[in-house]
Amino acid sequence: MSKADTAALIIGGGIAGLETALKLGQGGYTVILAEKESALGGNVAKLHSSFPRWEDPQELIKVKQAELKTLPSVRVLANTEITGLQRQSGGFTAHWTDRATQKSGSLPVQALIFATGFELFNASVYGEYGYGIYKNVVNSLEFEHLLGMYEQRAIHVPESIAFFKCVGSRDRSKGFPYCSKICCMYTAKQAGLVKKISPDTQCYVFYMDYRASGKEYEEFVRQVIEERKVRYVRGRPSKVVLENDKLLVRFEDTLIGVPMEASVDLIVLASAVVPRPETLALARMLGLKTDDYGFVEPVYGSPVRIEERIFMAGGCGFAIESLGAIAQGAAAAAEVTALFNKSE
Amino acid sequence: MIETYAIRRPEAQESPIARQIREDLGIDVARCLECGKCTGGCSYAAGFDYTPRKIIQLVKLGEFDKLLSLDALWTCLSCQLCVDRCPSGINIPRIMDYLRARAHRANSNITHKNIEKFYEIMLSDIKNRGRISETIMMIKYNLAIKNLFANASFGKKLFLKGKLKFFSPRTHNIKTIQPLFRRLSEKDGQA
Amino acid sequence: MIRKRVLSPEERIPDIPETIFLFRSCTGSMEYPGTENSIKEICKILGVQVVMDPDQTCCSGYLLTCSAYKPEFSLAVTARNLSLAESRKLDVYAFCNGCYGYICELSHIMLHNPDYKKMIDGVIDQLGYKYEGKTRIFHMQELYYRLKDKIVENVKRPLDGLRVGVHYGCHYLARQYGILDEGGYPTFIEEIIEAIGGTPIFYKERQACCGGAVGRGFTHKENVVHAHLYKKFMSAKKENIECIVTVCPGCNTSLDREQPAIMERSGEAINIPIIDIGQMIALTLDVDVQKLGFEANSVSLDSVLNKLGIH
Repeated sequence: MSKADTAALIIGGGIAGLETALKLGQGGYTVILAEKESALGGNVAKLHSSFPRWEDPQELIKVKQAELKTLPSVRVLANTEITGLQRQSGGFTAHWTDRATQKSGSLPVQALIFATGFELFNASVYGEYGYGIYKNVVNSLEFEHLLGMYEQRAIHVPESIAFFKCVGSRDRSKGFPYCSKICCMYTAKQAGLVKKISPDTQCYVFYMDYRASGKEYEEFVRQVIEERKVRYVRGRPSKVVLENDKLLVRFEDTLIGVPMEASVDLIVLASAVVPRPETLALARMLGLKTDDYGFVEPVYGSPVRIEERIFMAGGCGFAIESLGAIAQGAAAAAEVTALFNKSE
Repeated sequence: MIETYAIRRPEAQESPIARQIREDLGIDVARCLECGKCTGGCSYAAGFDYTPRKIIQLVKLGEFDKLLSLDALWTCLSCQLCVDRCPSGINIPRIMDYLRARAHRANSNITHKNIEKFYEIMLSDIKNRGRISETIMMIKYNLAIKNLFANASFGKKLFLKGKLKFFSPRTHNIKTIQPLFRRLSEKDGQA
Repeated sequence: MIRKRVLSPEERIPDIPETIFLFRSCTGSMEYPGTENSIKEICKILGVQVVMDPDQTCCSGYLLTCSAYKPEFSLAVTARNLSLAESRKLDVYAFCNGCYGYICELSHIMLHNPDYKKMIDGVIDQLGYKYEGKTRIFHMQELYYRLKDKIVENVKRPLDGLRVGVHYGCHYLARQYGILDEGGYPTFIEEIIEAIGGTPIFYKERQACCGGAVGRGFTHKENVVHAHLYKKFMSAKKENIECIVTVCPGCNTSLDREQPAIMERSGEAINIPIIDIGQMIALTLDVDVQKLGFEANSVSLDSVLNKLGIH
């Protein structure tokens, strides 16, 4: 078989899927990159600045996208949803639907890469935080959009902002027992960026622990606390009530053990990272193993291989930072390259 | 002579009181994340000597004597907001009930004797009448705490205005209630 | 597995009952006889038959807390009370948050602990009662919410934009699972208020506890309850609330009976009438105000009644 006879289907054009497509395309393999939305880039394309070095993720997406366009063996299907997957001998049949034109069809592929990403837990489960009730309570992805507008001076930065971590994570009673891994870092980034744009804005970060296990991560959080002067409060907020058009946050500072209140203009909820329901639906079509929550699971010993000819990359496996998603995307490309060379 | 101070030494394993709470109530305080959401939600934490989170911590550390002499045991409003908020679902009000009971039985240094009295009166009311009569309870309570005039002007006003009935409708078939308590007391060995 | 926390009224009460077993509340019938009466009147209008039993005792919540954690007593009392409804094949409707919370919890304990169940069976059997756990337990407010449309059809005296604050109390929402609303931000009573013509007002301390607790209203009046309620009333006052609706006679007692003392101590005129949701609905259904026992209230309801054109 030649390289033209084998094709890999990447489901999801976020940063992980993009990276897999790039690496396979650079190797000359035929790649079909199916993205449900009209544009590539996924969650990362919505972000402003990054940890641990304040770099621009949108620039990163732009560079990768431009590179992708130069690769003749990569076909990008935007607006395209994969609606069905069947195993065939030596590969799969994938059914697709174009969300814009409602056209549909199917195509044969020899390898599958799940790069469907994650989404955020619906924080309206916590009536006490008022998400979906008070207009100034947003989740962290919605806040990224606001950050963009603050950067462009399109709207005023509020006088005070509270960031709640662990909303839905580390909560066995209303959410999930797991730690969503990335919230500590992106919250530090968001609060730090706000302080850079508007040093007078008061930022509170409510935390149980801050988990900064990565190269330069600890230094990054310390910089946000020490230099940018973000107030970190150790305690999980209990209640948000309206008071004179402001939001009053009730919490305990657990380090001195006293109940306290803070009056803020905006609340940002670092909602738990949860798998997309679409991922679970696709995994079920192939009988793939997922964990209790619906994240797909690679086999022990490989960062990305789920089963024969099926791989994953990025947030569909678990919460992951963008650099980690890129690493997994590249690893998936390496696995596919190895597979296709073995088949040849 | 100089009195020296002792530095506390915490239990490194499950403390006896934590084990008892786990066995008697089925509540495992090891699940506590120490996040303080209970305290932030508490109706009256600002008035407590120890906040709900700290009380759970005392249980973990095995500070049994301290627990039994807490003021918060008796000022807790039992509103259950702590357990509503707790991400680990720890039923703190139930633990408070349990500790109150232990304090009562141990006859420890209870800061609010009047509540104990109140409870005794209320219990006898239920045992004898099936339902509670708040007027009689008020009077008995005042006699017990030897302050005839607490609540009195208020109660008298209500009574005169016909707002308080002297007797609540007593349970009809009281004969089935009294033996119930007797039987259970025999089983338990105490009334 | 994760149980469903919030149920729709249709999921909670699939079939509208023809007859209900009304679980009487000691505080309700003692302090505010009008609350119990209003339920009977509303049910008459809505075509639901109400059965009560003079044999029923205190819900045993007081018993549980006061007997210094000896659940055996409370379990037996609960089993006996529930058996009264079960023998009639009826579901229990409590109108007090305390009764509701405690009988739910205690019946849950019994039905999930075979040892307790066996012991309690042994005790109540000999007294001629039998409890199997077939009767379901509801709160009256759930029935009102379920029958909201029917109530609206029968409204003869809408609230005319009356600014009503709601006090949910703690123990219904603290059940957390299988209830009508999210405990952190409930709105279903506000929906009822709006449906019967009132303007529900969300005040800052809307969800603050009434401070009554088990006897804390007696023993800690000055240092705990007054300070706590003062905050609540001030936040209601700030929103110009004309009356507060409660769903629990216990809360009603705290909010109403303590108000004069709080006014006296603080020197502030609060004067916010406190009304049970049943009494409020009964008013709009044009039930004779004499039957609603408002003379039992410490804070006069005249301002509300005048506004509605009664008297």
